Amino acid sequence: MSVALPRILRTSSFRLTLIYAGLFAASALMLLEVVYWATGVYISSSLDAAVDSDITELEDSLRGGGAEALTAQVKERVRQMPHGPVYYLLQDPDGTIIAGNLPPFHGGEGRVDLKVPRSDGPSVPVHAHGINLTERQYLMVGVDALPRREMQKLILRVFESSSVVTLVLALAGGALMSGGLLRRIETISRTARDIMAGDFSRRIPVRGTGDEFDHLVASLNAMLERNEAAMESVRQVSNGIAHDLRTPLTRLRQRLERAHRRARSVEEWRRAAEGCISDTDAILETFGALLRIAQIASGMPVHRFVEVDLSELLRTVIEVFQPMAEEKEQRFTADVASRLTVWGDRELLAQMFANLIENAMKHSPAGASIGLMAIRSPSAIAVTVVDSGPGIPVADRKRVFQRFYRLESSRSTPGSGLGLSLVEAIAALHQVSIELTDSGPGLRVVLRFLAPDQRTLAGDRPLESNSVADRSF
Amino acid sequence: MKILLIEDDGENADYVANGLREEGHLVAQVASGADGLICAMENGFDLLIVDRMIPGLDGLSLVRSLRAAGRHTPVLFLTALGGVEDRVSGLNAGGDDYLVKPFAFSELAARVSALGRRPRTTAADTKLHVLDLELDLLSRRVRRRGELIELQPREFRLLEYLMRHAGQVVTRTMLLEHVWDIHFDPRTNIVETHISRLRTKVDKGFEAELIHTVRGAGYCVRGPA
Repeated sequence: MSVALPRILRTSSFRLTLIYAGLFAASALMLLEVVYWATGVYISSSLDAAVDSDITELEDSLRGGGAEALTAQVKERVRQMPHGPVYYLLQDPDGTIIAGNLPPFHGGEGRVDLKVPRSDGPSVPVHAHGINLTERQYLMVGVDALPRREMQKLILRVFESSSVVTLVLALAGGALMSGGLLRRIETISRTARDIMAGDFSRRIPVRGTGDEFDHLVASLNAMLERNEAAMESVRQVSNGIAHDLRTPLTRLRQRLERAHRRARSVEEWRRAAEGCISDTDAILETFGALLRIAQIASGMPVHRFVEVDLSELLRTVIEVFQPMAEEKEQRFTADVASRLTVWGDRELLAQMFANLIENAMKHSPAGASIGLMAIRSPSAIAVTVVDSGPGIPVADRKRVFQRFYRLESSRSTPGSGLGLSLVEAIAALHQVSIELTDSGPGLRVVLRFLAPDQRTLAGDRPLESNSVADRSF
Repeated sequence: MKILLIEDDGENADYVANGLREEGHLVAQVASGADGLICAMENGFDLLIVDRMIPGLDGLSLVRSLRAAGRHTPVLFLTALGGVEDRVSGLNAGGDDYLVKPFAFSELAARVSALGRRPRTTAADTKLHVLDLELDLLSRRVRRRGELIELQPREFRLLEYLMRHAGQVVTRTMLLEHVWDIHFDPRTNIVETHISRLRTKVDKGFEAELIHTVRGAGYCVRGPA
């Protein structure tokens, strides 16, 4: 605790608590001021009322019995209570006292607070009201104002004692709150430290209370999730570059070295140069594919999407790959429904199908059959690529979309290991789902384009952006 | 051909310019966008080769300004940006062709000559001729020495493209782009297969071969030299 306490004092939540306590005290002080003042006003007005009713009574006796009756009345009252709490003064215009127990007064008409000296103790505060009764007589009636002062003193005392309690409560609450917040923040920073130390799978525990902290923690965890995925893909790419680009670069270097040492004739040099160019092209192609995937994955502008004639596109791709099938002595059959249209980028879609077909042909032996089917169902347009090759083991089906990932069995076949990553990136951009299943034996890849009415979001975009595009030209 | 090369990478600029000079072109070199625009506006060039990323004024804006000023000089974009989006925006800005770095010089040379001798207005001609080969764009019929040759639609488009660029070398990539509308290399011998089929139909049995293979570069349709 001796270590934790200073830390609590340094926390922002505790500082906040202090500020709150200060504000609370200030507002309580203001409240006191108002109560104090209002009490004064209330007591003064009730004293006024007492004084005024006495004055009215005395005025009545003046009207009824004349100056003598009034003087008698005043004298009688002073006799009854010579030391208050009501005080009287009846004096001539020249200040001579006719009757009463107040000192002479020359302040004229109006309400006034006086101090009446007393022989047996300290002077008494008196709240008085003086009026001219006739041109000859001045009457003043006052009451002891001591209750007002007592009342206000009491208010001050009550406030003093309660404010101490309030302050203690505010500070204690602040300390508790601060401690609670501190613990949760500590959990977050401990997790952050663990992650920095290399444990990327760590997540901040959620309390389940659904408060702001839980929301914050959920957001942070989601961010960590994305970061981990991004890091993982960067890690894969750098591993991929390290392994898969090193091989062709090594080959290129060896070729150059061999030419440098052995090539004698122009023809030998030419052959070496041609080999080097094709090695370089392969490396550049891998880089190009990486760049493309990155570009597509980072959200290629969907506003360029247009309505693509999928049937025509597939027929072109099939035509382009027919020679490859013939070369590999494979049977390539296609069954494409007519007038299928999808929203998208023609070039990227062509690349996606090309990669899938090329993949099927490359990994299937001679004599295998490759099939492409495109059909329309009420909910989607489905394009299926089937081969009778070795297929992909269930465990590897997710991983084949990773960059540079290659099945052990296909390490020997040429290829960058990026084909399916590109397929996945393009499919994601077009909201196309990919499903890999067994076609016993072989692999069946099904791509599903959502039907226009189910693709509300994507369907709106091209319209909206066409108008933007129109404006910019 | 008078060519203006707007490229800031000196080494690459020299490589391209020297190569084109060897091909017999006159090449002027400029290294910034602003200079390039002034140069392109003031002098009559047959072709502009513009790098997308150049200091000052970028290639896209340069070509937009040029087109806004009513200049129709053909433009070939040269760029390290090879995404779909980049190519489309280049063509939308007013570029006529697009070549992604790194490229084979033969590819550049072929595209340069294709752009240079491209008919400025769409030809009113409805028939293309090379020696005794005739391609009718309206009836979509092909005859050699008056004899009708049956072609598949794709073969017709292939022959049409080759004949529109008769006498020029046309690369495999150019054919993929213009005949198949495929903008990546599918690594199949689709072009070779079609050329060989076309050759069987067009050249077989005739003394003069019209469809030539230019080694390491592409194909060319021309009469015997």
